[in-house]
Amino acid sequence: MPGIDECLLEAMRLPGARGAALVDWTSGLALGVVGEFPGGDAEAAAADVAELARLAAEQPAFAAVPAGDAGLGDTDPPVEDVIVSNRDGYHLLRFVPAPFDSGAVLHLWLGRADGNLALARIRLGEMAGRLVLG
Amino acid sequence: MTVVEAPPPLPVRDTARHRAPDQGAREGTGGGLSPMLTRLAAERATGVLVREGGALYLADGLVLHAESPYAPGIGTLLTASGAVPAEEWWTAAGTAGDLPGTARLLLAGGWLTRAALEICHLHALYDAAYFALAPSSSPGRFHYGPPPEADGPLPAVPVAAVEREVLRRRALLHRLWPDALLDGVPLLRTAPVAAPGVSARQSAVLALADGVRTAPDIALAQGRRVFPTLVEVRRLVAAGLLGTPPPPPAAAAPPSAPPDIDPHIALLKRVRDALEAL
Repeated sequence: MPGIDECLLEAMRLPGARGAALVDWTSGLALGVVGEFPGGDAEAAAADVAELARLAAEQPAFAAVPAGDAGLGDTDPPVEDVIVSNRDGYHLLRFVPAPFDSGAVLHLWLGRADGNLALARIRLGEMAGRLVLG
Repeated sequence: MTVVEAPPPLPVRDTARHRAPDQGAREGTGGGLSPMLTRLAAERATGVLVREGGALYLADGLVLHAESPYAPGIGTLLTASGAVPAEEWWTAAGTAGDLPGTARLLLAGGWLTRAALEICHLHALYDAAYFALAPSSSPGRFHYGPPPEADGPLPAVPVAAVEREVLRRRALLHRLWPDALLDGVPLLRTAPVAAPGVSARQSAVLALADGVRTAPDIALAQGRRVFPTLVEVRRLVAAGLLGTPPPPPAAAAPPSAPPDIDPHIALLKRVRDALEAL
């Protein structure tokens, strides 16, 4: 059964992947890091990812319309993913569904030239789903 | 007659409960957390460092595990949420006898993924380390122990990384609301009505703030991690929705009574007054 590092290494096999990390968005702690990060500082990048993830997760404007109140637990993160693009890359943040208080978010940095955002989004979603729930 | 001001209090080793408000800022900017821990990491000691707020299990310059009465352990985090049935956890814990063995049994039984275990373990470790490395009034003790089994299922973290993260968390909390006392005092909501703009997580904290529970108590009652609770508490206090209960009225009376009762103190005061009058 894969651990954090195996999941991040799998993410790094996506075309154009430059860095991947698992970040706790409630504290900004990097739970796992593989590859390179903007500015060369994975810890600073994790703190920035946590800021962005927290904003997205807590603002009611971005929350899904509740489909009845039944079963809306921690397994359903308030947001699926956040995508940031700039001139030379994409940043993909994927919330990890978990039955316990995980606060985990997968962060993937893709190079713009060889990255495939659509493919990466699908694959990262699958990886996040498998990470904790199996 | 000259008015004598009370002498400045003697410098005392600060505790989590008696801290100057600006303490957090100084701590947040750097400085060692525990010289003993730094020394133990340098000599790559193996054993348990027991401090006032918790214990760190060390081996070869790494933190294997941390425990604190103020932070829910990995078992609480997994069972309270229903991720692992409590019965399964205790059966595995009883059979294995230690944490790595318990983890291995649960993995083998397919109760959780390796990543879930790693995430939970790291959360429990950093949560407990935050309290274990909090300023304490008494020195820590170290018990040397046998080396742990190699190749356990739980990730270990370098001591330096734990120290850095504890300082970073302290600074993060300090930025939200600069009062480290809030980590350990009873909390009470100030506004009885639900305030707008409160997240589900924050209203859960408010619902449990009854004037008796502290932030760690609230986290334990929820079976959730304590650090996010500390964050929500500071944010709620900053928003004016949460505070500490007023001290009981009885606490105000005693200080005036004792000084004059003791004849020695009364005599010393007369001597002091006489000396000042010269």
